[in-house]
Amino acid sequence: MSLFQQYQAEFTGHIRNPKAVPPPKGVASRGMQVYAEIVFNNMEDTLAACFPVAKRILGVRRWTRLVRSFFAEHRCTSPLFRQIPEEFLRYLEQAPDAMAGLPPFLYSLAHYEWIELALTLSDAILPDNVQPDGDLLAGRPALAPALALLSYPYPVQQLSPRFKPTQPDAEPTHIVAFRRQDDEVKFIVLNPVSARLLGLLQTGTLTGQQVLEQIAAEMQHPDPQAVIQHGAELLEDLRRQGVVWGVLG
Amino acid sequence: MSARLSLSGAGLGLKRELMSQLQAEAPSAIDFFEVAPENWIGVGGRRSKQFAWFAERYPIVAHGLSLSLGGPDPLDEVFLQRIKGFLDQHRIPLYTEHLSYCSAGGYLYDLLPIPFTEEAVKYVAARIRRTQEILERRIAVENASFYAAAPISELSELDFIRAVLQEADCDLHLDVNNIYVNSVNFGFDPFEFLRGLPGERTAYIHTAGHLREAPDLIIDNHGDTVIDTVWDLLDEAYRLFGVAPTLLERDLNIPPLAELVPEIEHIAALQRKYAAATPARRLA
Repeated sequence: MSLFQQYQAEFTGHIRNPKAVPPPKGVASRGMQVYAEIVFNNMEDTLAACFPVAKRILGVRRWTRLVRSFFAEHRCTSPLFRQIPEEFLRYLEQAPDAMAGLPPFLYSLAHYEWIELALTLSDAILPDNVQPDGDLLAGRPALAPALALLSYPYPVQQLSPRFKPTQPDAEPTHIVAFRRQDDEVKFIVLNPVSARLLGLLQTGTLTGQQVLEQIAAEMQHPDPQAVIQHGAELLEDLRRQGVVWGVLG
Repeated sequence: MSARLSLSGAGLGLKRELMSQLQAEAPSAIDFFEVAPENWIGVGGRRSKQFAWFAERYPIVAHGLSLSLGGPDPLDEVFLQRIKGFLDQHRIPLYTEHLSYCSAGGYLYDLLPIPFTEEAVKYVAARIRRTQEILERRIAVENASFYAAAPISELSELDFIRAVLQEADCDLHLDVNNIYVNSVNFGFDPFEFLRGLPGERTAYIHTAGHLREAPDLIIDNHGDTVIDTVWDLLDEAYRLFGVAPTLLERDLNIPPLAELVPEIEHIAALQRKYAAATPARRLA
């Protein structure tokens, strides 16, 4: 490593962790401090904008400590500024030590908060051959292109400074998050059957009829026809809400 | 691929806060817009539709943030290919980057000062050349503002800039506010500095406001109106080097559009003043 790169390593090492890593020798302390502050504040602002509920639940002190440890320990690999929250999520996932003493639901909550940003900015597009008014039973329903089918061990949509469960629920919380045709991102909490329905539809290979028949069989339902009839209404409702965008041609 | 749109006149940084106002009624003083490609590459949905609205109507300049020309990590060529796709898709006539770095063992997402050494000149120039090779076009590199001088520097900032641009054979993205910021932070004459730049390479100019933190410390936050001395520097740059497309940067404390228009018109007025003149540098 050349001399100037050695200096850069010391300079950025100090910015990342000003308390533990000394600045390069001879650098003016005020200027160095400006960098340590603006780079961290920039990072913190971005994360606070994406994770407002997590910040509120943790409180400023614990939140700042967590962001500090992320900043010191994590190496961001994306050149895209908007992916800093994703880098933070990866850090939460991979750094169990950083999570010690933090609420057990933190990762689930952070993921739930991040998905809104991810879907807002997603560049996923619908295949060309989708018929918006197609028959959802006879055809293969097409889901919104920017969509995530989520299962969390905690009821993430209810978490707040007043509701901080210490144990996961017995049953996971299923949520579909999706961007509608008008580009608004919406969330719907699903029951297990609806979640299974959307999970099967996501494969893109089955017709609405086939999916509902499979669900009736899995439920060992005495009246499969009733499941299909009820399911057909559910599919139409999902189309009205913008989860289903039509039928694949 | 259709032809790139030609770039001239006065422009404004395209901020999300201003997009709706601009779409409703764009001031006639604005000839072009500038974006950070990092904010738009791979983005879909409402934002990409808004961006497309502007890109269809105006020339766009791409002013990059994350290439890290002076950084120790390998040049991100996958990212450069994405930038190339973005430039082609929107027929963007100019891509510029900073003479700084923003990553070292991972991204820090801020512009950090390169120590001004001979080794660094060679290193940065090689990365600029490689960038121009991949993008198949010349790029312009911006003189950066900074707050901490590297004690290991062997060259002055001016000599460093001159050496890098010459060795890379790239254009200059001249930021007159950055000259002023550094002149206060490091105690030199900004006009003398300007005169020392290789102005014949100027492809593009930035002007901006800043935050006066202390008598001898300016933070380059683009959060205020342009001060008189910086306007004088722009005037002098046009006089010396000729007129180049010039952008008003405003990234913080963004006021209603109407308050930015006089500053954009000020750029245009200075450009008219020198439109017919032969640059003084060429007369000399």
